[in-house]
Amino acid sequence: MKTVIDAHNISKTYNKENIPVYAVNNVHLHINQGEFTALVGPSGSGKTTLLNLIGGLDKPDEGKIEINGIDITAMSPNKLIDFRLLNIGFVFQSFNLIPVLTAKENVEFIMQLQGIPKAARDERINNLFKQIDLVDKMDSRPAQLSGGQQQRVAVARALASKPQFVLADEPTANLDTASASNLLDIMALLNKEENITFIFSTHDARVIERARRVITLVDGRIVSDTAKVAVHEE
Amino acid sequence: MIFRIAWRNIWRNKMRSLVIILSVAIGLFAGIAVLALYKGILNSRIHTVIYAETGHLQIHHKLFKQDNEPQFIIQQGEALLAALKKNSSVKLFTTRSITQGMLATSTGSAGVKINGIIPGKEDEVSGLGNKIIAGKGFDTTKKNQVFIGKKLADKMKLKTGGKLVLTFTDVDANMISAAFRVAAIYQSDNAPLDERNVYVRLSELNQMLTIGNAFHEICVILQNDALTDIVRQQLQQQYPEQLIESWKDISPETDLMIDTVDTTSYIIIGIILFALAFGIVNTMLMAILERTQEIGVMMALGMNRIRLFLLVFLETVFLTLIGTPVGLAVAWILTLYYQRHGLNWSSAGEEVMRSFGFSSMIYPEFPTEKIIAVIGIVLFTALASCIYPAIKALQLQPVEALRK
Repeated sequence: MKTVIDAHNISKTYNKENIPVYAVNNVHLHINQGEFTALVGPSGSGKTTLLNLIGGLDKPDEGKIEINGIDITAMSPNKLIDFRLLNIGFVFQSFNLIPVLTAKENVEFIMQLQGIPKAARDERINNLFKQIDLVDKMDSRPAQLSGGQQQRVAVARALASKPQFVLADEPTANLDTASASNLLDIMALLNKEENITFIFSTHDARVIERARRVITLVDGRIVSDTAKVAVHEE
Repeated sequence: MIFRIAWRNIWRNKMRSLVIILSVAIGLFAGIAVLALYKGILNSRIHTVIYAETGHLQIHHKLFKQDNEPQFIIQQGEALLAALKKNSSVKLFTTRSITQGMLATSTGSAGVKINGIIPGKEDEVSGLGNKIIAGKGFDTTKKNQVFIGKKLADKMKLKTGGKLVLTFTDVDANMISAAFRVAAIYQSDNAPLDERNVYVRLSELNQMLTIGNAFHEICVILQNDALTDIVRQQLQQQYPEQLIESWKDISPETDLMIDTVDTTSYIIIGIILFALAFGIVNTMLMAILERTQEIGVMMALGMNRIRLFLLVFLETVFLTLIGTPVGLAVAWILTLYYQRHGLNWSSAGEEVMRSFGFSSMIYPEFPTEKIIAVIGIVLFTALASCIYPAIKALQLQPVEALRK
């Protein structure tokens, strides 16, 4: 199976001068195409930092991260922006849709940045909104949508650019049970049907339950890495 | 999409944006008002110089202006007048005899320029008759009458009918003294000229100067102002022995004013917009700081720094460009009104205005030819104002911005 993310000995330390905090400490991580992975662990365990490093939003102090064999740690900030645009989808805890754009425009924005022609954009948007079941809300602004609907739009936005993988930081943290379940159904379906790789940071039991691989972090170190099928087989 | 985001962003805080839009409108209105006033004052001054003081062109003997000696009459003057009559660019002209002399009354004396004029023609060329504020003008039945300016009349305590003595030298340097009665007191928009110039009949002055039908000056009014330099060059080529000057040569301070007023007006607009720029910077900075997380998301999703700069720039440009037509429209309407009805500044110092040769009634003119430059200055201000907020936005690190 194709390796999408290959992180070698990555470390990230904050507050180096005073009392150092090892947010990510010598982590090795390999994620394959089509995985549905949950990064779990208590608050402060380094889940978000690890996601930021994998997503090229931050740089590790040590080690390197390869995405499809390309070392992103050696990239300049400007190149990283372009790389993220073309390769990585993001879903944030607080949805973070652009409030002045409609749901449709939020999704279209990424494709426009990528320079995708109008006709192709429209086709992709229609498909995505069908998949997230929000066709009737395409022209609504984020403020007119519920939290669950906003997060579904955020997922559509993350997928709009046809990324190599989607990083979702606590995607269900601000959602009620029904919305969270609905969101997970959609992501699981996209993972199954389109073989999209999802990596979540979460401590939501509902997400952990649906994940096929669970990586547990404590104090910036991976303490366990469990593939669920393997567990069941055991 | 960036245009759309920028446009919608400026309406997220309507009150704040409206304050900036209004500031730009008021600032621009103030700038345009200054330009319109300057243009009105300048054009009024040019009109006064040409049609009340110097004419478009003046012709003299080459040596006359050196020390205004009366012997330097215009040679072959009649032929020159005939040529001017035939010239289609020439609308009007008149001749003058001129000498320097002393005006004396029982209360004192003053140095004056004595102008011998042909009354009817002089009225047409310089509108002298329209400037009379006391008296009726020359009486054909009476001899030795003089027009004096109000400032000189006040200084010498003279009234119409009052007596004065003019002393000057003739062409042979003989001292001539003659008594005159004040036929009229005039007042122009140029108090220093009123104080210095007295007018008598050309025929009487010529007789005293013993120059017969000769004259020292031809004052020419052309069909329009644009012909000035062309006709001057033509005449100078035809009559190289004469000194032919345009109003710009005779009144260089007015010409200098034309050159400097443009620069001054742009500096004033620049100062107004510079002050405004701080307001714009403040607004944009607040907008950026309020949207730190949103900008972080955009950068995380793949919006590069050029696009981010463009977004901040467009927001600033929209804010300033919305205010621009508002300011221009208000300025245009008010200028049009005052261009028709005039703006009376007499209460703000009529005497001061006159002492500098300006009318106290100003007719502002909308500076259409400067609008593109003004819009250019506004756009430059927008660009300059967005740089600091844009730098602040560009300095944001996505990972840090997302945490806020």
